[in-house]
Amino acid sequence: MPTFKLDGREIPFEKGDTIIRAAHRMGIDIPHYCWHPGLSVAANCRMCLVEIAPPPGQRPMQLDILEWDAEKHDYVVAKKPKLQPACQIAVAENMEVKSESSPEVEKARSQVQELLLLNHPVDCPICDQAGECRLQDYWLEHQGTKKRMRDEPVHKPKAVVFGPTIVYDAERCIVCTRCVRFSAEIAKDPVLDERQRGNLTEIVVSPGRLLDHDYTLMTEHVCPVGALTSSDFRFKARVWFLRSARTLCMGCATGCNAYLDYDPRTMTPHRHRPRENMAVNQYWMCDEGMLSYTRVTGDRLLEARIAGRPSTFEAALAEVKRLFAGVPKESIACVLSAQHSYESNFALVELASKFIGTTALFTSGKPKGKRDDILIHEDKNPNTLGVKKLAPSARPFDQLLEGLLTGTYTHVIALGTDLPGQPELLEAPLSRAAAIVTMASHDGPFVRRASVALPASTWAETEGTYINSRGMAQRSERAIDPKGESRPAWELVALVGRTLGYATEWKKLKAVRREMEPEASAPADRPVGA
Amino acid sequence: MSRKLIEILKERFGAEVLETKSEHGDETAVVEARAWGKVAKFLREDPRCEMDMMVDLCAVDYPNREPRFEVVMHLHSIRLNHRLRLKARVGDSEGDHAELESVTSVWSGANWFERETFDMMGIVFTGHPDLRRILMYPEFVGHPLRKDYPADRIQPLVPFREGYEKLPPFDHFEGMSFGRQVFRSGKVD
Amino acid sequence: MEPIDQELEEGELELPSQPMSLNMGPSHPAMHGTVRIVMELSGETITKADVQIGYLHRGFEKMCERGNWTQVFPYVDRCNYASPMLNNVGFALAVEKLLGVTVPERCQYYRVVLGELARIADHLTSQGAMAMELGAFTPMLWFIKGREMIYDIMEEETGARLTHSFGRVGGMAKPPSDHFKPMVAQVLPRVLSILGEAEALLLQNRIFMDRLQGVGKISAADAIALGWTGPCLRATGVPYDVRKAHPYLVYDRLAFDIPVGQEGDNWDRFMVRIEEIRQSVRIIEQALEQMADQGPVNVDDPRIVLPPKDEVYSTIEGTIQHFKIVMEGIKVPAGEAYGYTEGCNGELGFYLVSDGSGTPYRVRIRPPCFAITAGLGGLVTGLMIPDVVPTFGSLNMIGGECDH
Repeated sequence: MPTFKLDGREIPFEKGDTIIRAAHRMGIDIPHYCWHPGLSVAANCRMCLVEIAPPPGQRPMQLDILEWDAEKHDYVVAKKPKLQPACQIAVAENMEVKSESSPEVEKARSQVQELLLLNHPVDCPICDQAGECRLQDYWLEHQGTKKRMRDEPVHKPKAVVFGPTIVYDAERCIVCTRCVRFSAEIAKDPVLDERQRGNLTEIVVSPGRLLDHDYTLMTEHVCPVGALTSSDFRFKARVWFLRSARTLCMGCATGCNAYLDYDPRTMTPHRHRPRENMAVNQYWMCDEGMLSYTRVTGDRLLEARIAGRPSTFEAALAEVKRLFAGVPKESIACVLSAQHSYESNFALVELASKFIGTTALFTSGKPKGKRDDILIHEDKNPNTLGVKKLAPSARPFDQLLEGLLTGTYTHVIALGTDLPGQPELLEAPLSRAAAIVTMASHDGPFVRRASVALPASTWAETEGTYINSRGMAQRSERAIDPKGESRPAWELVALVGRTLGYATEWKKLKAVRREMEPEASAPADRPVGA
Repeated sequence: MSRKLIEILKERFGAEVLETKSEHGDETAVVEARAWGKVAKFLREDPRCEMDMMVDLCAVDYPNREPRFEVVMHLHSIRLNHRLRLKARVGDSEGDHAELESVTSVWSGANWFERETFDMMGIVFTGHPDLRRILMYPEFVGHPLRKDYPADRIQPLVPFREGYEKLPPFDHFEGMSFGRQVFRSGKVD
Repeated sequence: MEPIDQELEEGELELPSQPMSLNMGPSHPAMHGTVRIVMELSGETITKADVQIGYLHRGFEKMCERGNWTQVFPYVDRCNYASPMLNNVGFALAVEKLLGVTVPERCQYYRVVLGELARIADHLTSQGAMAMELGAFTPMLWFIKGREMIYDIMEEETGARLTHSFGRVGGMAKPPSDHFKPMVAQVLPRVLSILGEAEALLLQNRIFMDRLQGVGKISAADAIALGWTGPCLRATGVPYDVRKAHPYLVYDRLAFDIPVGQEGDNWDRFMVRIEEIRQSVRIIEQALEQMADQGPVNVDDPRIVLPPKDEVYSTIEGTIQHFKIVMEGIKVPAGEAYGYTEGCNGELGFYLVSDGSGTPYRVRIRPPCFAITAGLGGLVTGLMIPDVVPTFGSLNMIGGECDH
């Protein structure tokens, strides 16, 4: 691999790399605002200026400038090297780049930073970006001087509503155009642009439009300052109190990698944001996925229910025992859920095939939905392939309905609450069932019709493995403590198994994983078998 | 000045000195846990070192490292006026088997410092004459300065200490009974 | 009427012949702070003593691992509550050592003056308390009168009599007030004259002398082996003082003597402390003379020192600086350092480990009292019960510091 020199250090690069990209790959941060690894180059923030030594035999690029001479009390003519943006200059073999080692670069950064803050409002205390703001970080790292301008700063519109999800503050904006480029290049909806010039420039939405494509929250995420704020997160939490868990998005089969930011003091999730994974979602996530964290607290099943009425765990399990007493194994059907993790489904498959001895396995999940060519998958279940891999013989849900109508199956043990298909078609067959036991995290069609419903933890409350549409097994971390009386679904399956008199002895997730085949139990964000 | 000490240590103990560094004007030598007592005795007795004062002894917990604890001792020589920081690493990642030779026989002042380190971090000093808790009470569960001890943990209630170090003059049948309430030891059902 | 001793059996009233245990403290007027000494007695002679501390343990070191570096200052205030300023300065110096910064000269003098004032206050308090425990109530009032004058200066400068929280990493919370120098200069002679009067009450007093002289003796070698420092070590004749042995701040520019004792008994410890007050006065007088009236007090580094408040409210640069320091804390580079200063009881050390974040990874305090109190058990063994009071008093154990 060819290399170039950055501050005396050898950095390898690939053909076509810019300086900043090659450095970024090596984990070296050249300060920048407008550059984003997933977007085109704008080179308008001038923060990444570096000094590049001339090729051998050529004169260095220099600028004539006027410098203040304190002794003469006048400006004198001087020269300084012409600095170039690291985000735009393609690397050449043996190029010598000075970033931190050049005093000129340090000076330039300090001055760029000073200019960016020239008209910035004193908003940190009320700004959602405070704590993760580039302006703050770089001021401390590269500027550290006080304000020199004593004039009234330029005032621009504040709290402009861009659309249902985004609020814009033009005074905080540094016009890096990341949001403009994102909308045009990634979301394929060029709805944002700049207006005016100089220090009056601001970002605007196209006349007659709203910022309402499927990736609007990403514009807030790519904003390096607090100009764009999400109306969902606005004024909800201060970021330095939040902790992050490495999770997955459960919105569809794409399985975007994400961080769930939650407040450890109240155990409340506050936002879901993308986590870089070049093989899955790159840097992006859709609005629906970023807002899917609300499902962790919303619409939950938090206590055991018998025929729709809240009850204790013990009573619910006793009811399970009563309902299943003396039932022949042929009439028991088990329903797997593509909404639940590989581990939970594994536990149910074990219970069904190894302990109960039934082959009647069915799958359930959310019905198909909207799709696009960017990230959104039509299959709205995060673990469809996982269920398929666990139980290749599992039949679709319609066949269970038929079986219930004909009376082949009378008793059902199920995971999850979401059911595919028309709600009115479910009523007749499900009412024929003698007993339905479901372990679900949310209220929904299945829970409402269940004889016994047990509260399961959501993805944010327990660890789990999910296999996405491209066959990659990925693991989602636990963020918060389980809400209410909920427990991980695999634990509930084990509990139901024990109630029915089987030796389902798993007490810890480790024990479940140990029984799973090694291939699926040790995924590290990579395709299974690859 | 004390960089010389490190040279002396290296020359005398060779590979048993695992690591040395000097930063912020402090000289540090990390020695094998096995050699701890030996090195201490040498530093105290060698005329070139003459570390007659053990200034401080404590431990630092690095839960992600193996060995997990660093026992840190600061030494000082009154006559030669030089200082040294001596370290040894002990304990597995669970915090067990954290054992180190006691240096109370070398510096009598190490007694309480070792008791404190045992109390706070759970490091056992073998050969210590009286290794019990010092800042915490005997029934305390865990070692509070370990990083995995949550600061807001609530300790179990201690049952009434029956007969525990009960002192003869204050038992209910002794001394003058007037003006004193008699609390019978034992549980109230 | 029945005689009350009717049911008494023969022999029940005999004195026990086995050694008697006696529990002194934790709640006892002579046990400053809260210390418990379990003693085994033979008659009135102590044959065994077990000193038990920890009654004032507040988890200082654990608390420090939760906040940022600046938030440690209120905690160190409460370690040695008799001379919090010395602890403030000691901790600030240790962090500055780790950061690799030196405060401006004016601040160094300021720290010296405030620190020495705290030392005087501490010695006055502790010696007054000891005298009172021996029945000399009047001298105690004299000593406290002197201390209050110093506390008045402290209050004027810092806003608080006792828990100042005045130190900052890279400087002090505020520059010296305009009338700082004349105020100190006025108080010093009055403190000295009060000290002279109190001395006149005590040093000729037969009872006081008999209870101190020759009691609680320790040899120099034993004291060193126990890790004793400060006045207690100097009373044994070892002239070890961190201010001379490893000068910090501007102590190398100031002339002062190290008073030492000969016997290492209670009397020597008392006299060393009294003389140290005079030496501190000398130091302060010189320092006031050399200290500049103008000039910066804090280091000029936006990453360490807070900006002026008016800038925080009116400019974005000031807001950012304030925000970064308050919300994230001062980022101390990863590493470790042991900073040590002469506290009023001896070497006050802070062993700091940083992982590069705004929160300390480990703050270890080396309280001088801890090592000294460790020697108490051995010191009182062989003495009589009443001797515990002056011996304990002359060691000047400070509960908050000893128990962390």
